[in-house]
This record gives sequence, structure tokens and C-alpha cells, in this order.
Amino acid sequence: MMSPLRVPQIAGIGICLAVSAAAQGVDSKMLVHPSADAWLTYHGNYNGERHTSLTQITPDNVGRLAMVWRFQTGQTQPIKASPILMDGVLYITAPDHLWAVDAHTGKEIWHYQHPPNNAFHIGHRGAAVYKDTVYLTTPDCHLIAFNARDGRKKWDVVIANSDKGYWSSNAPLVVGNHVLVGVSGDFDNVPGQLKSIDADTGKLQWIFYSTPPAGTPESKNGGATGGQMWTTGTYDPELNLVFVGTGNPTPVLNGDARPGDNPWTCSIVALNPDTGKLVWGFQVSPHDTHDWDANEIPVLVDGDFNGQPRKMLMQASRNGYFFVLDRVNGTSLLTAPFATVNWAKGIDALGRPIPNPAKEPHRDGVLVAPNESGATNFRPPSFDPGTGLFIVSAQDGYGIYFFKPEHGGYGWAGADYGVAGRSFLRAIDYRTGKIAWEHPIGDGAGTAGLLTTDAGLTFSGDNRSSVMALRTSDGATLWHDDIGRVQNAPITYQLDGKQFVVVAGGGSLYAFALP
Amino acid sequence: MIFRGMSRKLPLTILTGTMLAASVVMAQESNPAQSPAARPRPKPAKIEKYPAERVQAGERLFVAQCGFCHGRDAAGGESGPDLTRSELVAQDSRGNKIGPIVRSGRPDAGMPSFRIGGDEVKAIAAFIHTQVGKFGAFGGGRRTVEPADLATGNASDGRAYFNGTGGCAACHSATGDLAGIATRLQGLALLQRMLYPGGRQGPKPKATITPASGQTITGTVAADDEFNVTVLDAQGAQQTYSKSNAKVKIDDPLAAHFDQLAKYTDADMHNVYAYLETLK
Repeated sequence: MMSPLRVPQIAGIGICLAVSAAAQGVDSKMLVHPSADAWLTYHGNYNGERHTSLTQITPDNVGRLAMVWRFQTGQTQPIKASPILMDGVLYITAPDHLWAVDAHTGKEIWHYQHPPNNAFHIGHRGAAVYKDTVYLTTPDCHLIAFNARDGRKKWDVVIANSDKGYWSSNAPLVVGNHVLVGVSGDFDNVPGQLKSIDADTGKLQWIFYSTPPAGTPESKNGGATGGQMWTTGTYDPELNLVFVGTGNPTPVLNGDARPGDNPWTCSIVALNPDTGKLVWGFQVSPHDTHDWDANEIPVLVDGDFNGQPRKMLMQASRNGYFFVLDRVNGTSLLTAPFATVNWAKGIDALGRPIPNPAKEPHRDGVLVAPNESGATNFRPPSFDPGTGLFIVSAQDGYGIYFFKPEHGGYGWAGADYGVAGRSFLRAIDYRTGKIAWEHPIGDGAGTAGLLTTDAGLTFSGDNRSSVMALRTSDGATLWHDDIGRVQNAPITYQLDGKQFVVVAGGGSLYAFALP
Repeated sequence: MIFRGMSRKLPLTILTGTMLAASVVMAQESNPAQSPAARPRPKPAKIEKYPAERVQAGERLFVAQCGFCHGRDAAGGESGPDLTRSELVAQDSRGNKIGPIVRSGRPDAGMPSFRIGGDEVKAIAAFIHTQVGKFGAFGGGRRTVEPADLATGNASDGRAYFNGTGGCAACHSATGDLAGIATRLQGLALLQRMLYPGGRQGPKPKATITPASGQTITGTVAADDEFNVTVLDAQGAQQTYSKSNAKVKIDDPLAAHFDQLAKYTDADMHNVYAYLETLK
């Protein structure tokens, strides 16, 4: 039974203040129960809620928040990564780059630059840490382990062949001695793969294929390839299950070439981290033909659903639907749209939207909502346990989708064009799927992720150049600062008795605290 | 401050007006000038040869920084147009047209700016021009949408929708602003313009600003978000006003187009397109 109903790592933030101050590096227990002066994984902890128990910054005083330091990468690429904070040092990434930065001052401690390479450099989500090691994926699909103190390279392994169309922007997830790394690649018909690498040696432990290579016995994906796992999963230590979202099938817009539902593309999969074996899968977009990856964060929440205590998993998916699952077995508790959708005929008995064939790409074009960039995307949401609100950067958008046989069966295999979109931060009541409030952030798709706090604050950014603090209960703006467009999710921690909020604007990282 | 639903009901308030011009990431391709797939490939001004090392260096830069949106082969990617059919590329010589676009970006179309040196621009241009040559020989056109593909609608049903349920005639006229539209735009470019005429050439919102003290100002919106609005004054200079001490009303001529996207059936869309095609 689940009591208390909150996952312990959240409660742990406030309690373990003093524990890691003297420690060097992190162990598995600290990853399960991170202290308040750390942000040890992409999400800050394993449940992906991006919620903190820190309450020094409140709705009453947030108006006085001021910049403490700024770190400039000097790169063209904006920062899209969540920083990692371990032992007072922040680790922040951009494609081909990893910086260690003093969290007290914002000064660089060391910097790694990867050699130039031909793979896509579209963004990077962040590093990972375990013991005294920092892990970095590179666009050309290397996983490199560094000594956290001085940036000395410990080992460097290749996780996929970038010449075949794979690239990596992935922030790895460390579970025990497993470094779980995913890759991207939907311009080529290549299998979807997640690899587990030994945290100490760099040796391969297992591979999970979302689309097993053709000819293998477990291949039942209708000829589909793709389903890449390019975002960071979540982990439930009690169930010993890792939850990961999988990407769209390839060929992308040509659904005729791959009949059937194409599992496990556009799915949430639950894996045993020790073996890589699938325990359950839930497909949020059966037979996707719109590039709607289900890579959005599978957020783990323990609480009541319809009066029953449940171990839940929530995802606001790129296809426009919000899903609540029982994460013990992957059964559906709720499916409801959170943005404009016109592509489904209804919801099936399993809780999956039923694609309307009339909205598949056609020769003369079909008008589809959401557009290809989706009702949401990589920008991480946040769950606020106090209000039961799941807050997500959403877009109401339309695109026109084309496919004709002349487009072929390789890679994109079709054409689509965004028409228009409007963005909002939307607060979804997980019990009903209803929108409690929305806050417009501009035209086009949003880029900023979310952070909520026990004090009742929600941090995010708009589509222009502001970082903002909203009141979680109603979405009202309480503070903002013009720092350049926010393209990562804010993080928070307590250091030297002060609560910091650290967020990127463009290519700079900013630390805010009360004066 | 509950925002839910307000934007739709009050399309002329500042709530929907926020950041119209700020960053129209999804409006890419809505500008006819950026819809290369809608046109035949333009003829380059002159064919030039480039040293192999420069083309290789350009390919590395292009694939890494540009390939995701424009395709590894420059013939179109996840969101960006096919550059081998670009008019601007056809007019470019050794980066003189490509360089400024790369350095400034196209914020209204979702393209970021890149800090990049002169040699790098020349290398990227050499790679793109080499690709134009390749596709000139072999066809390409992976993402093409031909005007004939779109010709499935019924023009008289489209006219009825335009003048009736669609409500298009409230703002537009076949003999006024739309006279000759099908001469100016064809195929995908016409369809995109019909659905949402945004982008650089689209109509801009107007702001009416009433400061706490002083005269009311009206102007074309250059930038707008929750906190500030920037308008062009009569001399074309940018003036920025904080919304914390002024009442701001935004009149967005595109709001009706956005609302219409929820109302079109695919048949309506193709019928109205067929009707506009008759306006030559």
C-alpha cells in the first residue's frame, strides 16, 4: 500500500539538507533521495515531477527575486539542457560541449569540447552523474565519462552509428550501475534503441529495441522502424521499473508502408533496468502518421484516483492527449485532450485515441491539429501535488499534411507544413483532465519547461524573452525578468542557506535568489 | 486571473494579442517567398565550381547546424524548406545572399541566427550550390506538393462557402483585395496564404495604447508580449510601452483566420482553394 502517498524522494529534499555537504559524488541512495543542495538528474529526481519542497521563495517575496550570477557559454546554440548540481558544481551542456561551473559564483571550472562532427546539432538535454563521474552524450553518438573534479576523460564509447542517421541529444538516466542512453534518428529507417551502459566500465549491458530489427523473432511492428527514445525516462525504485517515451515510426508520414499499430512506437514503455526486458507498453498514438513522438516526460505521481490510492504515470503527449495510467501494469485511468485535436475518432477500450484515417497525410493535403511540432514536446512539464495540477507548455496548432507514393518510403516520406499555432501554459487537473487555467505565452510553439514549488509558485518562460513566476493556483504572473528566450526548464536548490532558481535564457545560464 | 477560454471569446483583447509578432515558430512556410516546394526550381544566376575541400567543409557545417530543418542534402528537413528550390539560393553568389540570412536568422519563420565567419558562409554556400547542381540533374523534390495535387475541390461550392458559412466575405472580396490572387500565387503557396496569411508579408496587428496620462497612441505592432508592446510610429520608428502603466488593445487581423482553422472541413478547404484558383 502506498502510504504516505507521496514518493519519498520529494519529502527527502527538505530533510537531507546536511547529508551531502561533505560528500564527494553521489551513490544510488542519493539519486533516490536527493538532498536540497543537489539536482542530480535531468528531472532533479526519479519521478519527473519537477517539483520542490523548498519554500524560501514565496508568492509574497518572489517580486524581489534578483540575479546572482550569469554564465555565458559563448555558443550560438541556446542552452536547452537541465543543469546537474553535485557537490556545489553545476554541469551544463550544449551539443559537443560540457561545462563544469561553480554554483556559488557562475565561474567556469572546466570545459570539454568534442571534436567537430557531421551529426545533427539541434540541441542537448543535459549530463548525468554517478559516483564521481559525469556522463555526456554527443551528436555523433558517443557516451563519454569524465572525472567530475577536473574533466579528465575516463572512457569514451560509441552507442550508435551516426553515419546511419542516428544522433544523440540525450540526458542519460542513471539507475544503479546502469547508464541508460537513447538516440534520435527519424530521417532514416533505423531501429529504435535504448542502451544500458555499465556506469564504471562503459561496457554494454543490454539493448531495448522499441522496433526490433526486421527478421528478429520479437519483431511485430508491421515493418515500422524508428521509435527512438531521445528524452530522459523516470524510475520507480519500489517497482524497479524504468518508464520511457518512444518516438514516432519511420517512414514518418507514409503509413501505408507499415500497416498496423506499429508497437512500440509513440508509446510509453516500462522496462526492467537490470535486464532491459519490457514489462508493459501503452501506445498513446497507434499507427502515427504525424511525427507525434511520445517522448514527453512520463511523470510518476502517487495519490488518489477516484478515491483509490494509485501509483500513477501521467503524460501530456505531443498528440494532444493527456494520459493517466496505473504504472504497476500500464492500464489506462484517464485519457483527455489538453489542446486542440481533430485527428482521432474517439478513445478505444484501452484508453488509446483511435486515429481517423481521413486525417492521415493525403495527396491533396489534410488540415490536422496539432501540427507537427505538437500539442507539446520536449519541454518538461511539472506536477504540483498540493493542487493536483499537471502544468504543461501546450500549443493549439494546425498543420497541412501531404503524402503521395512519389514521396517514397524512406525517412520523412511525405511533406507537412505548419499553418499557425498559439501557445499556453495549461494546468490540467489530473483527476478529471479538465483545464483549471491557462496562461498565453505567445504564437508558435513554446520552448520553456516548468518547475513548481511547495510555496505555490510555477516557474517557466514565454515565447519571447521572459522568465516568469506564476501563482500555481490560478496562473497569475507574480514576477518576470527579460533574460532572452528560455529553452530549458528552470531548476532550484538551496545553497549557503539560499534558495536559487537557475534557468537559461538564450546561451546564458542565470541564477536568481532573494537579496 | 483565469485565462481559460478568454482568448477565443475576446479575440481583440490584449490576451490574444500577446506576442503576435514575437516568434512565429509555426508560421514558417506560410510566406509564399519561403515555399520553394510550391514552385519549380529556379535557374541559378550562374553555375560556379567550388574546390572539393570547401564543399566538404560546408557539408560538415551544414549537416550539423542546418540539416535537421533543411535536410542533410539541403532538400528539406523536419521543418525547413528545400533550399535547392530557393529563389534566394539561386540569386546567391559565394554566400552574399545566404550569409546575411544565416547571421540574422528569420525569427518570424522560426529560423535562429548563427554567429558564423566569412569562410564558413562561403563553405556552406558552396555545399548548397553543389546540391542545387546535383538535384538539377537528378530531380529531387522529396517534399514536393504540385498544384495538380491540390486540384480536388469544387469551385462553386467554395464560392458558396466563401460568401456564406465561411464568413470570408466579411473581410475579403473576389473583385477587391483578392482580384488576381491566383495570378500572384499558385499551388501550395496559395493554399498556405489562404489558410493563414502570416509571416513577413502578412497583415500586422494594430495597437491602441492609452497611457495612464497623456494621449492615446495607435500604431502597427512590431513586437508584443505580456509585459511590453512595441509599435511603429508615423515615422516608422519603434516605440515601446510597458503594459503595467498603459491600457493596450490589440486588433489582430489574423485572429479570424486562426479561428477559421477549427471550422474548415478538408472539403471546405479544398473547395475554397478551388474557388480562389479561379480568381486570375
